[in-house]
Amino acid sequence: MSRSKGVIIGCGAIAREHLTAIDSIDNATIVGVCDLSPTKAQATAERFGVPTWSTDFKRLIAGHTPDLVHITTPPSAHVSIAEYCLAEGMNVLCEKPIVTDYRDFEKLRLLAKSRKCYLVENQNLRYHSSVQRIRHLISDGHLGDVVDVQIQLFLNLYGLGNPFSDDNTPHFSRALKGGPIGDFLPHIAYLSQMFAGHITELHTLWSTRRSGSTLPADEFRALMRGTAATASVEFSGNIQPNGFWLRVMGTRMSVEADLFNPPRLSIRKLRPGEQALMTVFDGVAEARDIFRGSIAGLGRKLGGTSSYDGLKESLQHVYDCLRGAKDQPITLEEIDRTTKLVDRFTEVGLST
Amino acid sequence: MKILVTGAGGFLGRYVVRCLLARGHSVRALIRPASSAPNWGSRVDTRYGDLRSELDLPSLFDGIDGVMHLASATSGNEDTQFASSVVATERLLDAMTRSSVKRLIHISSLVVYDWSKAAGYMDENTPLLADPSGMGAYTIAKVWQERLVQDVAKKAALELTIARPGFIWGRNHVNIAAMGRRLGRSFLMFGPLTRLPLTHVYNCADCLVAMLENRNSIGRIYNIVDSDDVRVWRYVREYARRTHQSGALIPLPYRAGYWTARLASRISRTLFGAKGKLPSILTPTRFESQFKPLRYRTELLSETLGWTPPKPLDQCLNDSYSMEREDEDVAQPVSLT
Repeated sequence: MSRSKGVIIGCGAIAREHLTAIDSIDNATIVGVCDLSPTKAQATAERFGVPTWSTDFKRLIAGHTPDLVHITTPPSAHVSIAEYCLAEGMNVLCEKPIVTDYRDFEKLRLLAKSRKCYLVENQNLRYHSSVQRIRHLISDGHLGDVVDVQIQLFLNLYGLGNPFSDDNTPHFSRALKGGPIGDFLPHIAYLSQMFAGHITELHTLWSTRRSGSTLPADEFRALMRGTAATASVEFSGNIQPNGFWLRVMGTRMSVEADLFNPPRLSIRKLRPGEQALMTVFDGVAEARDIFRGSIAGLGRKLGGTSSYDGLKESLQHVYDCLRGAKDQPITLEEIDRTTKLVDRFTEVGLST
Repeated sequence: MKILVTGAGGFLGRYVVRCLLARGHSVRALIRPASSAPNWGSRVDTRYGDLRSELDLPSLFDGIDGVMHLASATSGNEDTQFASSVVATERLLDAMTRSSVKRLIHISSLVVYDWSKAAGYMDENTPLLADPSGMGAYTIAKVWQERLVQDVAKKAALELTIARPGFIWGRNHVNIAAMGRRLGRSFLMFGPLTRLPLTHVYNCADCLVAMLENRNSIGRIYNIVDSDDVRVWRYVREYARRTHQSGALIPLPYRAGYWTARLASRISRTLFGAKGKLPSILTPTRFESQFKPLRYRTELLSETLGWTPPKPLDQCLNDSYSMEREDEDVAQPVSLT
């Protein structure tokens, strides 16, 4: 059976992750890459053995009629490229954030529906191995009812050579509401919704801690009430070391996943017995979880597993659905809810 | 001549501007917006801008006789370095080829060579890296940058000279990768007797200006190495002594390190196949590019340009470690030999 054909528009870091992931998928192949920089497009094609490269995405698409167009450009270019591709009847997989303004998503959604094309935002953390484990713990009843979800993301926005705070050439994320933090809001939004349900109440706090910073904000907090649970978010561009933690607290169990270092995940659960003794058991179990996860994480790094955990599974799922003529794996309604929540995150308290 | 210097605010760029001024040239210095320009005086027309972003590039070439292209990134991830070095060069050359300026000195690096293919010595005929993708971000960017420059120069008939300096060192830039690795307070040296391809920033700037002034250099490629007399052991010992480091200096045979890297690479391939990733020190090709014992031929510089480094090693050492502030902000006459 022939492989599905994809093209990639935009040859930055995330494009390399797509190419690496596709390389390990049996039923898909990338037939062309595109970038405004010819050398970048050529270097990417040469490195990954892609047969063609171009600086003109319209010409690339016309020449290949791909099954899926991966849009991996900076977010400000997403809408115009997606609009063109959808109008041409192409299926689109777009990196997050799919749009920088919710109104643009409404426009794209209508177009995708009318042309019967996929319009998928890459929400790879839905497929992250640790997120999947937590979902299984919930669906199998081990965790009980979800009561609270905590998301903590610490990322140094100011380090040497850090593109986020480069004042010479502003990083693409400066064009987003919330600046660099805005680039991560889609992940935060859909993870919150996955575990807390539809968000009915939201309180946010934006601030800039670093004096002299040219970023719109470097700290963000959110407190949410969802239909299933509460959720809180803490994003810091100053706390070090970097870390990305997802904690899901249930009526029988609490789970903590280190999303930057999968498969590190530790579980604390109710144990019958003498409390003082159980504290020791808990400590030993937690140490065992962390040790096993750390060793497995090292193995993953040495084995060249992508740091974008879940991306391969996410792309595989999209191509599988395409081949099976199924509905797109992440529905337009789910993407709509994520995009709306991202918009709400930035509605209040953010200086523009 | 009036020379456009890109990357003029950088470590090498500041020395190049000073050297050009001292030799009677005038300079248009391109400095990144977030950098501060030294007080160069009226013979320097300072322009602020970043080659990666919107900038009135065509006007940069008005009244210019030649370009000294130094702009390049030495830190940041692969994307940052590629954009700063390659995409920036793409935009610069696009504007240059629309202007009447033909003369270009491009600053590349010894990292573009395939060090595994250098047998005994390295010179301008050593084979280049065919596939840089397994190397570090800096190497990937420099390889593609040089490929681009050569390609455009050929198509646009530019008068191109490519300079490939070795380790450029000087005040506040004395740490070089070939010294080895720190282990706590100690220093591990892989091959203490290995010769270092050093060029002091003062000498390197002098050499670049000599290339610009001598039309014999057009169409040629030069490695810039002051001499290969300095060995790792001496350089590290001077570093430790002059910076008052009290940790042990631990010499390790080059071959021990190299075969360890080969073994690690073999194990990685067995366990993980081609996707396996190792730290640079355990990747044989990257280990070689930092520590391989070679000699460095510099005859081409002396034969075609008559150039020898003006500042001897001892003076370079004294200048580099001196606590006295060198007034880099004022154009000083440079003593020429």
